Amino acid sequence: MKFIAVIRQVPDGESRLKIEGGKVDLSGATMILDQMDEWAVEEVIRLQEKHGGESVVVALGPERFEEAIRTALAMGIDRAIHLVAEGYTDPITQAQALAEVIRAEAPTLVFTGGQQADWDAQALGPALAEALGWPVVSWTTMIELEGQTHAKARHDLDEGAELVRVPLPAVFTSQQGLNEPRYPTLPGIMKAKRKELKKLPMSVGSKVEILEQTIQEKSRLNKMLDGKDPVAAAHELIRLLHEEAKVI
Amino acid sequence: MILVVLEHDGQRLRKGALEAISRARQLSTLGPIAGVVIGENTQAVAQEAAQYLPTVYAAEVGGYTAEKWAEAAYTAVQKSGAQVVVVTGSRQSRTWTARLAYKMKAGLMEDTLETSTDGQHIIGLRYSFLNRVTEKQKAALPVVFTAKPNTTPPAEPAGSGTVEVLEVNLPLTVEVLERLSEQKKGVSLSEATVVVTGGRGLGSPEAFATVEELAGALGAAVGATRAVVDAGWRPYSEQVGQTGKTVQPNLYIALAVSGAVQHQAGMNKSKYIVAVNKDAEAPIFKIADYGIVGDVHQVLPALVDAAKKLKD
Repeated sequence: MKFIAVIRQVPDGESRLKIEGGKVDLSGATMILDQMDEWAVEEVIRLQEKHGGESVVVALGPERFEEAIRTALAMGIDRAIHLVAEGYTDPITQAQALAEVIRAEAPTLVFTGGQQADWDAQALGPALAEALGWPVVSWTTMIELEGQTHAKARHDLDEGAELVRVPLPAVFTSQQGLNEPRYPTLPGIMKAKRKELKKLPMSVGSKVEILEQTIQEKSRLNKMLDGKDPVAAAHELIRLLHEEAKVI
Repeated sequence: MILVVLEHDGQRLRKGALEAISRARQLSTLGPIAGVVIGENTQAVAQEAAQYLPTVYAAEVGGYTAEKWAEAAYTAVQKSGAQVVVVTGSRQSRTWTARLAYKMKAGLMEDTLETSTDGQHIIGLRYSFLNRVTEKQKAALPVVFTAKPNTTPPAEPAGSGTVEVLEVNLPLTVEVLERLSEQKKGVSLSEATVVVTGGRGLGSPEAFATVEELAGALGAAVGATRAVVDAGWRPYSEQVGQTGKTVQPNLYIALAVSGAVQHQAGMNKSKYIVAVNKDAEAPIFKIADYGIVGDVHQVLPALVDAAKKLKD
């Protein structure tokens, strides 16, 4: 069996973003393995620990992604393939490029993050599934293999959740609750330096062009009410929401 | 031609479907608008939709899977010759529209706030980087986009159209074994115009009964923070934030929520934000329009009283 995690490197949500020349400038931001992709990596490692075989990470992005790829290798992934491409590429176009490499690997399944913290996009997993002609289970919170041919999975819907059986190969996207990712150990980090990382330079283009990015902080009223008299404060708040904001 | 995929609950169109029709009408220079209703009881829902659109397809494909929805929408695209597909944004629609966009070799724009056209392209505005950046995008036709709920007024009826049954060759891939929780009766979190969210500071799952009471009095949906759902007090489907839902209601009430960046990513664009917290230094107050520094266990019941009095 072979399990693949598709990952991205994104800015840490806590780090400050700047705009330079109408675009987000990440030069001062702390870059990390996307948290939702980290769940995908952890799940792939657990599947390999349970069922044997091989684990691989695949990433499409600029050179700097190597750091996130090394994190995944340090967590325990066997080897990596990095499609090196600069500039913005939309998830649909990325899926097309990733699918070629993944098809050649012929994995049992592919796992990726439910949403990418830089694009705020949820399309990569399902677009990849379409490109491969496989089913997709998005927002997965539990997966169990049933032999080599099927998997049982629990995943979130807009409201509630459902249990599904899906033929393999298939694409899964992660959701919080799937697992608790391990921290890379020092021996793991040392080993990761020697693991295979294949780089394939490519030029993929994009169907969607980003014209401009801005940071618009909404100005807030910041009206504070003293809660020492909770009843008076509550009534005043409801009055303000009704008469001033007119939202109730 | 523009195609609107009309989301519904099996009985009626969802508010998001009417918002999607409004978005499509804003692009009317690209030609006429058709609709498609996918799922169960589609003919009845399509009759309702025909009050808004000249042509509505009904694709009776049964319960939801991303594969079925993408295939049904694609069949409607081929039948109508649509160059643009519009859908209200939700977890489910943002899954199957990715498959659809790939089938159509289309550009995809997720959760747009505004959309316009120059005749050859769609220009869309959306948030990125955990809701912190506003981004203007452009893609050549064909384009598929989802419209973020609560960003466009719902459409008004406009005459009477015809309903046409759409035959779809169904891919059978994912087998649904069990629905683990029923569709919730109340207001859907993503579409709600008022959201009342409780944080860990409420102290116990039982305290959410009062949160629900306040939500009931305001016609609001209940939300929860990550800490609350991780503790098992509330289901994941109620989580607001980076790994939960991104909401943009007219009013967001945060009760005993500190307001970590990850939580703000799911609600910072709400029109009005109210915070109740005992810690005056809590980050949530920095983005609040109205704040009460006080004990939520005293303030919350008083809010329920005041809200009920207002409704009477």
